[in-house]
Amino acid sequence: MADDPYAALGVSRTATEAEIKKAYRRIAKTDHPDLNDDPAAHERFKAAAAAYDLLKDPEQRARFDRGEIDAQGQERPQRQYYRDFSQGAGNPYRGEANYGDFSDVFADLFGEGGAPRRGGFRQGGFGGARSFDMRGQDYRYTLEVDFLTAARGGTTRITLPDGHMLDVNIPAGSRDGQTIRLRGKGGAGMGEGSPGDALLTLHVAQDPDWRAEGDDVVTTLPISIDEAVLGAKVEAQTLHGPVMLTIPKGASTGRKLRLRGRGLAKPGGTRGDHFVELKIVMPPQVDDELANFMEKWRGKHAYDARAEQRRGGR
Amino acid sequence: MTGAMSRDELLAALPDLSEAALDDLIRAGVVQPVQSGSGPLFRPVDHARLQLAMDLQDAYALDEDGLALVLSLIDQVNGLRGDMQAMLGAVAAEAPETRARMRQVIRQTRITIRHG
Repeated sequence: MADDPYAALGVSRTATEAEIKKAYRRIAKTDHPDLNDDPAAHERFKAAAAAYDLLKDPEQRARFDRGEIDAQGQERPQRQYYRDFSQGAGNPYRGEANYGDFSDVFADLFGEGGAPRRGGFRQGGFGGARSFDMRGQDYRYTLEVDFLTAARGGTTRITLPDGHMLDVNIPAGSRDGQTIRLRGKGGAGMGEGSPGDALLTLHVAQDPDWRAEGDDVVTTLPISIDEAVLGAKVEAQTLHGPVMLTIPKGASTGRKLRLRGRGLAKPGGTRGDHFVELKIVMPPQVDDELANFMEKWRGKHAYDARAEQRRGGR
Repeated sequence: MTGAMSRDELLAALPDLSEAALDDLIRAGVVQPVQSGSGPLFRPVDHARLQLAMDLQDAYALDEDGLALVLSLIDQVNGLRGDMQAMLGAVAAEAPETRARMRQVIRQTRITIRHG
């Protein structure tokens, strides 16, 4: 920010609080980066906002006037302006653009241009109604659910903007981006018109242990080195409870074991598969016995773990 | 959801926003947080939108409806600006002949005559 906050606001050092506020508002109106394209305006607004932060507090202002503090150190934390979001693709608050006869050209170039939009703020209220019987608006929300609720199905309680609570049924096998329609839970209709629907776009939260690949579910199963060498029967979690899994002798990290039909529910009643990815975990401490054994073993049986990689030319 | 804040975190990040004012803005649809089992979540886009909404309220003394209209226009204009930039980027990558043909069509449909 400029060294002189008074200059940044364009006021004299004797300006009253009201004058300072007025000066800041004037700059906010003309130079707000969300309303003005000009980079110079952006700089003016930033300087004015920082100056206003300092001068609006009479105590701070007095300390600055006495020279006890300088204008530095008043930098606002880096602010992310709404423009960054509203100009980008997929702004959930943006209505669909309608290009009339060229709607299909737009859709061809930009994707789902003419399709119902995702997420966001209703702008329908500003259009003119042609009839007094009008169906209520559809309300759109984004609903975040955790991985297991989406995969197994369940209920999530949400609060609508008007304060009403609603229990939403999440069907088993729900996918990220899927929409749930709640009939009649949108805006009230006008006259004889029926109420609109609430449309919930699901966002499946990332889970540290579970992930989906299409219809399949992938989890990681840690195993010990002895289990890896000798093979074992180990319990693994699936969407529908634990199963005993046979770890084959000599399994490496990254090896995937398939549990058929234990993945996500597909339309039509079938299911994807569940893949358990093995991960060898060393003991917390390598004791002397293990180290001695390995030294001896290496003497006779050393092998090249990276032979495969080298063959690939990497 | 990456970078999403709870209601308390949001209020802490925006000290000038009161609980009542936030409720009013949500009720008016100015901001629509993501619903989750643990309560509403505010994404970075919601955070930035609230900051702009507060700036506009302060500068123009707007009520919620006026604010909703202004924000809707900002969304439309900035969205179009983004579309336009993408379109211009695509046009810039085209061959000169293609661009000449496009220029001709644009001139025919959107003639701007500048005098002097």
